[in-house]
Amino acid sequence: MALRSGWLKAPWRRAERRSHDPYWDFFIHTPPADRANSVIDVIRQAPEGNVFPTKADLHTPEVTTSHVKQMARYLGADLVGVTTLEGDDPGYPFAIVCAVRADDDPREAQGIGGQVPVQNGLFVTFVLSAWIRELGFRASIAASPDAPRLAAAARLGTLNRTGRLTTAEYGTRVHVADVIRTDLPLVPA
Amino acid sequence: MAMTPGTQTPPPPHLGRSVRIVGPVANVDMNQTPHPRNSRGELGKALFNWYRNTISRDPLTRVSAPNHFADQRNFLAAVVNQAPKGKVNARQVAVSDPAAMTRHIKAVAHHMGADVVTVARAHPSFLYAASAPPKDSAARDVYQNRSGDVYQGRTPEQMAERYPYIIVATTAWDYDKLQAHRHYIGDAAYHVSQMKAQMILKALEGYIKELGYAALRGMSNPQAAGLASGVGELGRNGLLIHRRFGARVHMPDPIMTDLPLVPDQPVDNGVEDFCKICRKCAINCPTNSVPFGDKVVFNGVEKYKINWLTCYKIRPYVDTHWGSCLTCATVCPFTKPNVWWRSLTVWALSTCPIPARPVLVRALKAIDDRFWGTTRQTRVRWLGYDSGIKPGEQVCTVAGCTAEHGTAHAAEPVGNIGYYAPLKENTNRFVKRDG
Repeated sequence: MALRSGWLKAPWRRAERRSHDPYWDFFIHTPPADRANSVIDVIRQAPEGNVFPTKADLHTPEVTTSHVKQMARYLGADLVGVTTLEGDDPGYPFAIVCAVRADDDPREAQGIGGQVPVQNGLFVTFVLSAWIRELGFRASIAASPDAPRLAAAARLGTLNRTGRLTTAEYGTRVHVADVIRTDLPLVPA
Repeated sequence: MAMTPGTQTPPPPHLGRSVRIVGPVANVDMNQTPHPRNSRGELGKALFNWYRNTISRDPLTRVSAPNHFADQRNFLAAVVNQAPKGKVNARQVAVSDPAAMTRHIKAVAHHMGADVVTVARAHPSFLYAASAPPKDSAARDVYQNRSGDVYQGRTPEQMAERYPYIIVATTAWDYDKLQAHRHYIGDAAYHVSQMKAQMILKALEGYIKELGYAALRGMSNPQAAGLASGVGELGRNGLLIHRRFGARVHMPDPIMTDLPLVPDQPVDNGVEDFCKICRKCAINCPTNSVPFGDKVVFNGVEKYKINWLTCYKIRPYVDTHWGSCLTCATVCPFTKPNVWWRSLTVWALSTCPIPARPVLVRALKAIDDRFWGTTRQTRVRWLGYDSGIKPGEQVCTVAGCTAEHGTAHAAEPVGNIGYYAPLKENTNRFVKRDG
């Protein structure tokens, strides 16, 4: 047990606790034997809900953008940005890109623990896109390979040589969640 | 304890100072709990229609609150909880040290975003009765995780022996937004963290199955397991009061498991002594559902018992303003931001000798009344919401918004106070107060 001294917390305590955990590696790296034990597929495969028939009384696009960002942060996104989609998606002029901190790279750590950033990202994008649909605008989420490019366009960070998003806050230890494509009037970064 | 002939009944569980088991406890039938009863129409038309046939006018409530959505596919908790269940991994991970596994499970739940994780030793009286869960779709949000045959013909005693631990993992909701309770802002704080807790529990359930152990949901009464494992003590308001978060913790459906763990013990936060004196929740309750008097014995359990029916009955009347009242959780002096002065106060209270506590409680209550107030009237602004607008009126108070709003707008809000529907004058008409 680590030394506990009231208010003073040893800065290495958290890391030390994990390295002494004999099951932590299993949690992070062992892929689930039954995919149904992971909530990720469940949320990804869920059908998209209806757009509410009445459009909400919106504020100006600047205010709406700040509200969307505030909402994404409230739902647990660490970084959020808005960018335009040029022509590649008719009917969806804007993309909302959310990113969450990832201590382990979800592309390598296939265990339930390694996929926790994906899970947190899906929570944000699912609820945020459902909220936009309930505001009366179209919004859909899809896992896309150009998510880091859109994240860089939304000014969350820059792409490094291997095409990974590198941010000022978390370096490359960041997972770009599924991109939300929407026609909600927003102001891109 | 449910009495079943031929099986040995364990001694009554220790649940801390706030709750005492004094007689035989019958297992609670989940079909007789408020939401399933309402979905069968047993509580009258107004409540039935509120529960089944109401679509919220607030977009955020439509994506976060059970039963008031326009389209269920936009509600994450329904998606997560109605998903098919995974299988238990045949290659079981051997557990040589239950204490290490307990630390691991707690670290896992915290890693997924849980604020509180505890382990209770299962007791037959914590379990819901063996009757099948409601088939009705509208009651699905309650105990929807339970598959019909979890008991497999066993008695509660045999179940508690076979699955000896209950993992209680939960989230706390946001303090600042809760200050606008009885408003859509408070609802958002409550419902969003509830959805998050449900997703975490589903993921934790899956992970325990991946470790090769059973994970049963919809089995245990969350409050009993929470008390036994020291999530908190049961307050006058009928809510578990946590050491760090006060009454603002959810109690979602816990996980019953045969994973070898080390159970936690009940805690003493001084809630028992505080609730004897304070009565702030009882004074503020808009429906007068929280008792002013002493504890009562109900189903063999000595505790403060709220009147759930009157608490429930106000909901259809305020449907256009909010979904979750949360008054008793908000005004509770234990519900404070998680900062040093609240830690210091709870530490002082819980280390104070019990006979000296009433004096300290009176002093703390006076401080709370002076600085926090006797009732909440804080104005909270979040997104486009503003609790300073009187219920029923509409006005855009977003700074810098130049948009032409289509709806009719009333005058500017008066003063820097928040309005919480129903206002005091309405509730005095709504419920008969004694004395």
